[in-house]
Amino acid sequence: MALVEVRGLTKTFRRADKADGLSGSLRHLVERRFTTVTAVDALDLTIEAGESVAYVGPNGAGKSTTIKMLTGIVEPTSGTVRVGGLVPHRQRMANARQIGVLFGQRTQLWWDLQVGESLRLIRDMYSVPEPVYRARLERLDAVLGLAELLPVVARRLSLGQRMRADLACALLHGPSVVYLDEPTIGLDIAVKDRVRLLLRELATEGVTLMLTTHDLADIEDTCERIVVIDRGRAIFDGTVRQVKDRYARQRTMHLQFDADVDLAGLQARFPGVPVRPGDGARTFSISFDKNALAAGAVLARAVAVAGVLDVRIDEPGIDDVIRKVYAGELTLQAEPEVLAGER
Amino acid sequence: MNARAYLRIARNSASTIASYRASFVMGSLGVLCQLVALAALWSALLSRGVSLAGFSLAQMKGYLFIGFATGVLATAHRESRFASRITDGTVALDLVKPLQYRGMRFAETLGGFAPELVMIGLVLGGYLLLAGPVAAPAQLGLLVLSVLLVLPIKFLIIYTSTLACFWTSSYHGIAWARSAVTAILSGALVPLALLPGPLRAVAHWTPFSSITSTPGLIYAGQARGAHALVLIATQLAWAVLLWVFAGWVWRRAVRRLAVVGG
Repeated sequence: MALVEVRGLTKTFRRADKADGLSGSLRHLVERRFTTVTAVDALDLTIEAGESVAYVGPNGAGKSTTIKMLTGIVEPTSGTVRVGGLVPHRQRMANARQIGVLFGQRTQLWWDLQVGESLRLIRDMYSVPEPVYRARLERLDAVLGLAELLPVVARRLSLGQRMRADLACALLHGPSVVYLDEPTIGLDIAVKDRVRLLLRELATEGVTLMLTTHDLADIEDTCERIVVIDRGRAIFDGTVRQVKDRYARQRTMHLQFDADVDLAGLQARFPGVPVRPGDGARTFSISFDKNALAAGAVLARAVAVAGVLDVRIDEPGIDDVIRKVYAGELTLQAEPEVLAGER
Repeated sequence: MNARAYLRIARNSASTIASYRASFVMGSLGVLCQLVALAALWSALLSRGVSLAGFSLAQMKGYLFIGFATGVLATAHRESRFASRITDGTVALDLVKPLQYRGMRFAETLGGFAPELVMIGLVLGGYLLLAGPVAAPAQLGLLVLSVLLVLPIKFLIIYTSTLACFWTSSYHGIAWARSAVTAILSGALVPLALLPGPLRAVAHWTPFSSITSTPGLIYAGQARGAHALVLIATQLAWAVLLWVFAGWVWRRAVRRLAVVGG
């Protein structure tokens, strides 16, 4: 059996329908109207032990609600969830022992106390033996620079420091499944890199990771698999590699020639491929599909026109692909049987 | 049950309260003034050996102090912190911990016990100095026992009312209503014997009278022997009943979390 098994998972809730202003509020007191909102809609998801899964989607797609059902915080309206054989919302405490959770927007630190006090509480909560506790602190210190934070009162931490401390709280008990909801939100590049490094380390150790994020660079660095959710439904489930191979095929080669080159003459060498003049003198940009045209072939044709001084190739990231999906410009299609083999 | 973790929560709660000691001391001074003023009022009413509802002036002053002390219990860890855990969604983090939500909150309240005792001691010193003489407690052992039982009862009433935040987004109204009802029905404002009949009956059949009236009557010696024991047993029964009721409310409340969490 897979570590996480989700079948037909659905969560609906009622949202009060209130008109604007005082009159709307008063009317709502007399005549209550509600709209049923479906946050998660018949979701199926299987995650094997040791996988690292990016769970992405636009705001309000149902990402957080899914995480809350997987962690046992929220009870599903229908469908089933099993994590390590447990039903999270029924066996909440037992499930809590096997999972680590970080909600990037919230903190579990004791606000008026030193960070070390919060960590000692986690140690006691999960009955972590003292030598194991020390060893884990040391490891987390190596990546997160935790030692300098331990004596600081949580209230005085910067956002990046707070996130590092909260990550330590989520991982200190050695969970086998870790859910991270926006772990890099609001962080600067240096801290983001540290967090990603830690996630990669966890993944190589066989910890199962599920990550929701708006920063898709988090995904390219840490996750092999990506699940895209929109309006409560999974619209794509496949590997990050596959998404890039299939939907991020566009390359742009920027060339600088050593002599004056005529745009029409250059374009004639690339039928059906757009060629644009670049920003500088004697520079041109050629956009092509890497599956239709090899970069070497593009370069060879260019060299035939004039000597090439400089070459640079732009490759779209996964964020470009996902941005198009959110904007409705692109529909991702996975081939489940191929995917199953790849996993 | 993971006693070590709950103890650690109690300790952290005590440290948090200690970090706000200035406001705590200011609060004590304010309460002391109020208490001395009340004692002066009762001194005017009970001058020249008059007694009211069985209380002499020295006993009434003691009863007022019991009202203050039981009012302080279970409040150092402020109830607004329970409420905001729910309204701001921090409760979600509590739900992924291998501990009971109610147990964690009770541990926080117990962490306030030592600071509360310090405050009660300080105010007692000032009170004896400014408003003495005050009658000594008639049955010290029973008094201590009944005051200790106030702790779980008050905690459970406060805790359960904060669970209302799962249904309403603001806690202020609930807090005001509860503290007003508690002040009257517990006997903290005036001894229950002085309340009009129907109100007195309500007080007797609700847990509120267990908060101030019971320890107050035991202090003044108006409830002695078997009567005192019955009152203490009633406190115990309320603590158990409220514990069960709080669990029932929690199970219903937590299902509403989807709306709170968004």
